[in-house]
Amino acid sequence: MKWLIPMTCLMLMGLVGRVHAHGVEIEYQSTQALDIQATYDTGEPMKNAQVSVYAPGKDTPWLTGTTNDQGRFTFAPDTSQPGNWEVKVRLAGHGGILAIPVAANQGGANQGGTAIAQKHTGYTPLQQGVMTLSVIWGLVGTALFFARRK
Amino acid sequence: MKQCLVVLAGAGLIILGGVSGCANNQTAMTPSPAATSPTTASSADSGTLEIRANGEDFARQGFTSKDGWQISFENVYVTLSDVTAYQTDPPYDPRKDQALKATQQVSLEKVQTVDLAAGDEKADPVLIGEVKAPAGRYNALSWRMVKPLEGPAQGYPLLLKGKAVKEGRTIDFSLKIDQEMAFSCGDFVGDDRKGTLTPGGQADLEATFHFDHLFGDGEAAATDELNQKALGFEPLAAIAEADRLDVDMTTLKQKLTPEDFNKLKTILPSLGHVGEGHCKEILLQT
Repeated sequence: MKWLIPMTCLMLMGLVGRVHAHGVEIEYQSTQALDIQATYDTGEPMKNAQVSVYAPGKDTPWLTGTTNDQGRFTFAPDTSQPGNWEVKVRLAGHGGILAIPVAANQGGANQGGTAIAQKHTGYTPLQQGVMTLSVIWGLVGTALFFARRK
Repeated sequence: MKQCLVVLAGAGLIILGGVSGCANNQTAMTPSPAATSPTTASSADSGTLEIRANGEDFARQGFTSKDGWQISFENVYVTLSDVTAYQTDPPYDPRKDQALKATQQVSLEKVQTVDLAAGDEKADPVLIGEVKAPAGRYNALSWRMVKPLEGPAQGYPLLLKGKAVKEGRTIDFSLKIDQEMAFSCGDFVGDDRKGTLTPGGQADLEATFHFDHLFGDGEAAATDELNQKALGFEPLAAIAEADRLDVDMTTLKQKLTPEDFNKLKTILPSLGHVGEGHCKEILLQT
């Protein structure tokens, strides 16, 4: 019966969560974004510069915006469109373009625009195999050593 | 014995799992580059690629230099050779890449002298030439500025003729630049994208020249990096004789201060752009 009180509380909290006072819903989605920083040759940030983001092979912008006071602009590309995403930054006659390779989302299910972060172990399959065999061999050897002493 | 082996093997698997888990947490944010795919060409999937040169409004309409001279051009002759458009994948970045590696490229065959001051304010950039090219996205451009063997700018890769006016004084100038240069540039940076050629279609690329880098821009702040690096017109006015200035690089070296001449030499290879995009530039031995 001890679980009854906390369960009741949780159920009540769930009911309260469904009450909508003014119909505002704010949701979030966890993505891994690309953070761009635009600077002049002097290192000075390009503040409020015009940004155009192009999906691979497209001539119309996928996204437009402006940099912030630090010259930064963040976006999460649609990984269902793998390839070189290009970011054009312009301000008062100065401009540049940056190509960012984005890999396809494994499984291809993410339409929300998450930049792929390639996971890697830092070891090749060969290295991992050698490590596995070394550990197993060490354990067997240790076991045999103690077995002989008995 | 068997129990001991089983326990140790189990421990080993746990350790391996732990090592593997730690390693997987070392997540890299660097995406892998897309695979390159060389373009194959046939007449069926080619189009027409136009390559133009643009001195922008500075050349066509004139402008005020950083030191207050009202500059207008009669002619701005540039002589271009080895004009080549490239498809590159990954896109060529002249600031980072050592070499321009193309999956496809096309070139204009002729050496061409064009006048960037031709036309009014609404004139299109000057056509250097056009070439049949395999369809695809041309996102890099290179060219050389060479001494023409004939024509109005004979002997000078860059020839600027015009007037400079300030406070009632008018100087007729002719700046004959005999320094050959080469530029390799990435994608065009401007209002629109350029260089996407569809089968049977037409696309254009642009070699852009920024003469405000030489004279500065009176509409920009004096502290603007462009004006800080620009020569301006005042050093040239100072060496004009009877309000005329007709000089080549040899004369400029003799008459300008060493500091101003070195500034000029530094500015020359920064004239070439693709829209607002910068290029990799080199001064060629002449």
